[in-house]
Amino acid sequence: MHNLLDFLQKYHHWFLFVLLEVISGVMLFRYNSYQGSVWLSSANRVAGQFYEMESGVTSFFSLTRTNEELTLRNFYLERQVDQLRRLYTDITKDTTVEERNQLQFLSQYKLIPAKVVSNSINKPDNLMTINKGKADGVEVDMGVACGNGVVGIVYLVSDHYSVVIPALNANSSRISCAIRNRDYFGYLHWTGGDPTIAFVEDIPRHAHFKKGEWVVTSGYSSIFPSGVLVGQIEKVFNSSDGLSYKLQVRLSTDFSCLRDVVVVSDKTISERVKLIEAARDSIRLKGN
Amino acid sequence: MSLDLLKRLGLFVVLCVVQILVLNHIHLFNMAIPLLYIYFGITFHRNYPKWAILLWCFALGLAIDVFSNTPGLAAGSMTLIGAIQPYLLELFVPRDSIEDLNVSIKSLGFGKFTTLSAILILIFCLAFFALEAFTFYNWLNWLICAVSSAVLTLLLILAIESVRTR
Repeated sequence: MHNLLDFLQKYHHWFLFVLLEVISGVMLFRYNSYQGSVWLSSANRVAGQFYEMESGVTSFFSLTRTNEELTLRNFYLERQVDQLRRLYTDITKDTTVEERNQLQFLSQYKLIPAKVVSNSINKPDNLMTINKGKADGVEVDMGVACGNGVVGIVYLVSDHYSVVIPALNANSSRISCAIRNRDYFGYLHWTGGDPTIAFVEDIPRHAHFKKGEWVVTSGYSSIFPSGVLVGQIEKVFNSSDGLSYKLQVRLSTDFSCLRDVVVVSDKTISERVKLIEAARDSIRLKGN
Repeated sequence: MSLDLLKRLGLFVVLCVVQILVLNHIHLFNMAIPLLYIYFGITFHRNYPKWAILLWCFALGLAIDVFSNTPGLAAGSMTLIGAIQPYLLELFVPRDSIEDLNVSIKSLGFGKFTTLSAILILIFCLAFFALEAFTFYNWLNWLICAVSSAVLTLLLILAIESVRTR
């Protein structure tokens, strides 16, 4: 008996070793089918929380990409909502032909996601640089929008970067826009100062609208498709010559934290430019 | 003693976190995984109670297993290391060294430390991948995985050890 106890004392770690190996062996063979154990897998609470923290950190680093995708998605959905709204109002009036044309018109646009690399909002002539250029298909006079609304128009293009004249440019920016569902149109003009407020000028005096209604792009130019958000009507003034209204609009785009934008590329733009030039030429010929 | 325990505990947590968050995501050439936590098993000083080594190693292996969904795999292999380490260490310590000699490059010398680590790591990797591959046995693949992981782990441990001794 004494000898046995001595033996156990001397070699107790070997027994422990065998015991632990047996435990691991049992775990290995019993639980390794993935759904086996809740306690000894990452399904348990501690491990779960740990991994949640980890994914919290790692997902932070993929946020930029997610953002970009969401911007694009948002833009698409907004366009869709606008089309559907128009479709609905027009269906009740039973004029769907125009709508079909409109949808076809929409498919002419190609969207190029881009990132704002530099931006200013505190000068009267603000400019913005985005990280897509000629190599990505960006051309001069293309429209730029973000998920929340209109941003500006491409002004200069290099191989990999472009300069955009944002709506916040007091001297150069004139974006054609209209009051949603009313179709009275004017142009967006910013006068400097507060980067959240701009004015829509040339709204005819006979127009009916309410404060709080949305102003969207009109789609009359080839730069923006119709229905891209511009802002919400805050106040109404008479224009200086008294012939039209001037609307104070709260811009839906927050230019101060703009990061992901979309360049709206119109595939038919060159065709249109040619047509307009041809028309000018013919007028000139007639004049001669 | 309690300071030693705290240091062990610290090393335990750090190795767990590093292994789970970083090293488990590395699969070099789709086969080599750095298994840094063996470092924990290598560094028990001379005459550390053998049962404690076994329990520590088992606990670390289990912790790793819980997070990587392989219950028993790392625990079994680590326990094996815990059993071998004190005996293997006796072969490497210089004759006239103190009772609780630390295991590091400084105390053992580069050559001896490297050999000791290499043997332990290789045994661990062979056991680890043998257990892992138990169901789909492919000995060439097993050997490549084990050896490449062992080499990667050894390099990592030597790098860390040389930084620590400096």
